Amino acid sequence: MRFVLVGIALLGWEAAARSGIWSPLLFPSLVNIGYELGQFLVTAERLHEAWVSLTRALGGFALAAAAGILLGMLMGRSALAAALLDPLFSGTYAVPKLALFPIFIFVFGIGSLSKVALVFLECLYPIVIMTYHGARGVNRVLLWSAQNMGASRAQTLRRIVVPATLPYVFAGFRVAVPVAMIVVVITEMVSSADGLGYLVIYSLSSLKTDRMLAVVVVIALLGYLLDKAIVLARDRLIYWEKLDTYYV
Amino acid sequence: MTRILITILGLVFLGSALAQTPPLIRFGRGFAAEEQLWLMSVRTDLTPNQGKRYQLKQILFQANPERFQAFLAGELDGGTAPGLAVIFARAQGVDMKIVASICMEAAGGQYFTTQYMVKDDGPIRSVKDLKGGTIAVVGIKTATDLWARAGLLNAGLVPDKDTKVVPMAFPAIGDAVRTGKVSAGTFVEPFFSAEMAKGGLRKLFTATEALGYDHELLDIFFGEKFLKANPDAVRAFLADYVAVTKYYLANTAQAKTDLHKAGFVRTPLPIYLKTSDWKRDPDARVDVESLKKLSAFMLDKLQWLEKPVNVDSMVDQSYLPR
Repeated sequence: MRFVLVGIALLGWEAAARSGIWSPLLFPSLVNIGYELGQFLVTAERLHEAWVSLTRALGGFALAAAAGILLGMLMGRSALAAALLDPLFSGTYAVPKLALFPIFIFVFGIGSLSKVALVFLECLYPIVIMTYHGARGVNRVLLWSAQNMGASRAQTLRRIVVPATLPYVFAGFRVAVPVAMIVVVITEMVSSADGLGYLVIYSLSSLKTDRMLAVVVVIALLGYLLDKAIVLARDRLIYWEKLDTYYV
Repeated sequence: MTRILITILGLVFLGSALAQTPPLIRFGRGFAAEEQLWLMSVRTDLTPNQGKRYQLKQILFQANPERFQAFLAGELDGGTAPGLAVIFARAQGVDMKIVASICMEAAGGQYFTTQYMVKDDGPIRSVKDLKGGTIAVVGIKTATDLWARAGLLNAGLVPDKDTKVVPMAFPAIGDAVRTGKVSAGTFVEPFFSAEMAKGGLRKLFTATEALGYDHELLDIFFGEKFLKANPDAVRAFLADYVAVTKYYLANTAQAKTDLHKAGFVRTPLPIYLKTSDWKRDPDARVDVESLKKLSAFMLDKLQWLEKPVNVDSMVDQSYLPR
């Protein structure tokens, strides 16, 4: 039942591709895309390109996670930090950081560093903002209880604030991970000699739309797997709060 | 009754007017080296057939893949494209033909040929010194990419393995080379003149040196169906195009001033007027042999093609004025 819509979409695609209305160079058949996907999965060079993109995305994401949790916690538990940093993050959240990529190239070079730096910047915002709201919204009763029981600031942070904020942190992670993949692929499309974004541009320049779409499928699969990994980690770490939804 | 008669007469007149409307050519253009084509829209007084035997709508595209996608989607009837891009398209079975030349990469002091430059006081003295370095081109599988790879292969270097080839926008390449972010970069006009004026860069090789022969840079293509359906319109268009090319070659300064005034070129006029120009054949004839050599190079040396492309069937110059 979960995959009914996916199946319908795929059938619709195949029907459209075989209708002859559009050029197969614009609208290739799923069979051709599947063939190219198979070729991708058995070709070491192409798998290496996926690995390059993955390491860039995860590198930037990991740095953003470390800095974002720290900054978000600080803003959530310190009025001064919030007063200083909140305008900065709120005011620049909507700025398309991708526009800064040419500057990043000049500062960090044309290799992986500029891409990792941009992924870091793009991922930082959702993680900081979610962590900030999580840390700020910790139940006061819990904080007062900890203080009444003589808990130190460090103990309160470790036993109350961090566990209460973790669901928000993971919510930030789930927003940031696809952003990391999108940014890394776009930066590789703009200026790179390797990675999945490079493969997309290379295939497009050769008018190999089926090969390009196979790369897009790989990007989608990687994004899906990374998201599943985060949900799995969340369920393991935050065992006291399951993601249950009651439909009415 | 009178109303019905008026309506019928109106429809007859409308049909007659539509029948007399010349075919519209939806033409995809680029943003560099296509002066004589742009002039066709700026100086319509030089194109006597325009509006009578054909109508022209020029649509700007930033890159070849988007132009070809628009063509495949039926949104364009023809356009401009580098010869190698048409070779790629033909290799994928796209029904398009080159019908005229726009400009060529040619050796000789009087013509401009694309330059590959390095930092003047840097360590790279020859192409061999690019081993372990990076060379900036404007796009993957573009002409600038092909020349860069040809230059590297000539020096015994393996592109991508010995030297990385990375895409970068033309305006950024000058500073990227000066600051050492890339070892070498591609320069075309007007960026070449602007960067030379700034100083600090030195020529390493040119496009014609890399390939060793003069060759087609940009051409005009049309879809085969459009050619078959509208041969007279294409002939009229090309007759005007050749006339404008001759005017451009004879009155380059005035033509460039007109193009600048119309906003087709944003380079400051004094710099634009001084820039040297690519070789343009006054009769717009295509150098088919150079396209054959390019195709063979793409197949044998670069492995950019999976099978040979029949260049003779890709070019049709019968629509050009005799």
